[in-house]
Amino acid sequence: MHDPTKKKPGETAFAAALVGLSGFLLWQAWGIAGFEALSSPGAFPMAVTFAMLVSSGVILLKTLRLTAREPVGFFSDIAPPVILIMFAMMLGYALLLKPFGFLPTSLLFLTLSVFGLRRRGLLWSFGISLFSLALVYLIFRIVFSVLMPSGIVPEGEILAWLGNLFSGETAQ
Amino acid sequence: MIEALQYFTIAWFDPKLLGLVALGTFAGIYVGAIPGLSVTMAVSILISFTFAWDVYPALCLMVGIYMGGVYGGSRTAILLNIPGAPSAIATALDGYPLAQKGKAGEAIGLSTVMSFVGGFIGIGVLALAAPFVSEFALTFQPRDYMLLAILGILLVGSLSGESLLKGVFAGSLGLLIGAVGLDPLTAQERFTFGVVELWGGISFIAVMIGLFGVSEALMQLHHIDKAAVKQTIGRIVPSWGAIWKYLPLSIQTSSIGVIIGALPGTGGDIAALMAYDHAKRVTKSPDVPFGQGAQEGLVAPETANNAAVGGAFIPMLTLGIPGDAVTAIIIGALFIHGLNPGPMLMIEQPQMFWFITGALVLANIFMLIFGLTGIRLFTKIVEMPRTVLIPLILLLSIVGAYAVNNSITDVYWMLLFGAFGYLLKTYGYQVGPVILGVILSRLIDENWRRAIISDQESLGLLLRGIVTSPLSLVLLLAVLFIFFSQTPLWTGWRARRAALRASGDGI
Repeated sequence: MHDPTKKKPGETAFAAALVGLSGFLLWQAWGIAGFEALSSPGAFPMAVTFAMLVSSGVILLKTLRLTAREPVGFFSDIAPPVILIMFAMMLGYALLLKPFGFLPTSLLFLTLSVFGLRRRGLLWSFGISLFSLALVYLIFRIVFSVLMPSGIVPEGEILAWLGNLFSGETAQ
Repeated sequence: MIEALQYFTIAWFDPKLLGLVALGTFAGIYVGAIPGLSVTMAVSILISFTFAWDVYPALCLMVGIYMGGVYGGSRTAILLNIPGAPSAIATALDGYPLAQKGKAGEAIGLSTVMSFVGGFIGIGVLALAAPFVSEFALTFQPRDYMLLAILGILLVGSLSGESLLKGVFAGSLGLLIGAVGLDPLTAQERFTFGVVELWGGISFIAVMIGLFGVSEALMQLHHIDKAAVKQTIGRIVPSWGAIWKYLPLSIQTSSIGVIIGALPGTGGDIAALMAYDHAKRVTKSPDVPFGQGAQEGLVAPETANNAAVGGAFIPMLTLGIPGDAVTAIIIGALFIHGLNPGPMLMIEQPQMFWFITGALVLANIFMLIFGLTGIRLFTKIVEMPRTVLIPLILLLSIVGAYAVNNSITDVYWMLLFGAFGYLLKTYGYQVGPVILGVILSRLIDENWRRAIISDQESLGLLLRGIVTSPLSLVLLLAVLFIFFSQTPLWTGWRARRAALRASGDGI
């Protein structure tokens, strides 16, 4: 829980970054149509970015005035390794999703993350990941018909083959 | 009337739709009951899978998740003192002391039945009031819509967060995200930086899953080592006597719930807290003092937060203005399904309104059934280790963001908003106003331009129009009051009043 009377590590930098972002976006909004007319396409974006700039500016001033600090560190509490690694793994997942396909990428992602978080043996992590993935696949791919990249797994052919198998059985 | 009844019961007699309402309610209850997983997260991730569906099945799932999720949050509030959803904060005040006394089953049973009662009253008011509200809404001027939407964002920003300033920033940021892309009126590029892919704007789903799915899951990684708490729950079906005893109170608190829920920007959390306060004032001699396991303290918030669900659908369906983050997400989903919530929805597609109302009733019934059964399964799911659960949520977030447009760019946007949302939450900003801003951006922009064009580009004329129309004036005063309520003048007066009251009580 955030204590508004105490400053967290990185809070001033974050507040300053928001001011910078708001200023940049206000400048961009001004570039849309300037002060051409109150009903111009740029009027609303300018009002909104102005509100962002003013609010973030006051927040920055208030943050600068805070002297009490929370007894925590940036890389130990705000962005500890577990969060950074999980985020990097999600990025990796997004990168590999298209070339390798949903099934292998998801299995790799789940196994590694469960193993990393649980530290209970690779085989156990693989087993639980395989089971979870099978459940996710069944619910979302088969029941909800969500399309996912098949990548290196000839998923369409396997599903068609399974479909034929069942339709063949019913035909007989 | 017969037509309305037909639409009302569509989901009742279609096994697929019936099953989807049941599935949604079940998922809502269980996701809501897992500490750290909110109903907003469940709705945002699961809704993304329904965009390829027809609108009826999608609505069934959404309605079920919402109704179930609001109720599910009370479970962990009672058992662990960790509200599963903001609307269950007040439930923990007396629910947890009851559990500590070994009355967890009794508390869960009572809260389930009372949520059911509250839910029904909320839906009843929705069915009766919405047609009138939408007729009244037809008289709204563009400036009224603009003011109402601003009021909604400010209310969410000021009531849910630690400071109005942070709420204003978050709401404005949402409005800005909603403005990215080609201007709908002139097709001029706004914040596209010359990138053609941005012409259509930033995917609402990517923003939503990033802010509510990924950032919440990342926050939960802080508590990854906490062991799952073993649950012990006895008999949960409450006695008729207990239900009968608290029925008058539950009707009163349901009324509070439905009114608060119907106000744009205020949802189940505020309704529950106000109902709790009401119960405290009207119950002169509770069997057990409030805060120590008073059943009145459990009944009041639980009826109110479920009554607020029906209430929240009133501005959502009649004005197109969401009451909270969940209804904002549902509005976004309705847009994607080609529906346009607002007064015209009731006129052009009344079947949608009656269908939703019918599905809500079903969800409420399923909530009662699932709430009073399946305790063994419940304990198993709640005890599921976070080390498996969080990677699964992250996986579903990616799949959900990808599935809507089959676009990996949406996944990158989602990750960006996930990281940003994590930092916002860490430093005390609320992400609810962001999503409300994204949804309301177009409504405010278009209505502002309509208003100012009809007033010949004159701010003076616009202001005159506002002060001479009672509705516009009330809305403007409400907006101004939110800012005034943050000034030292108002907070000082409140503090002095509270001190006076305390000294009066002391005497």
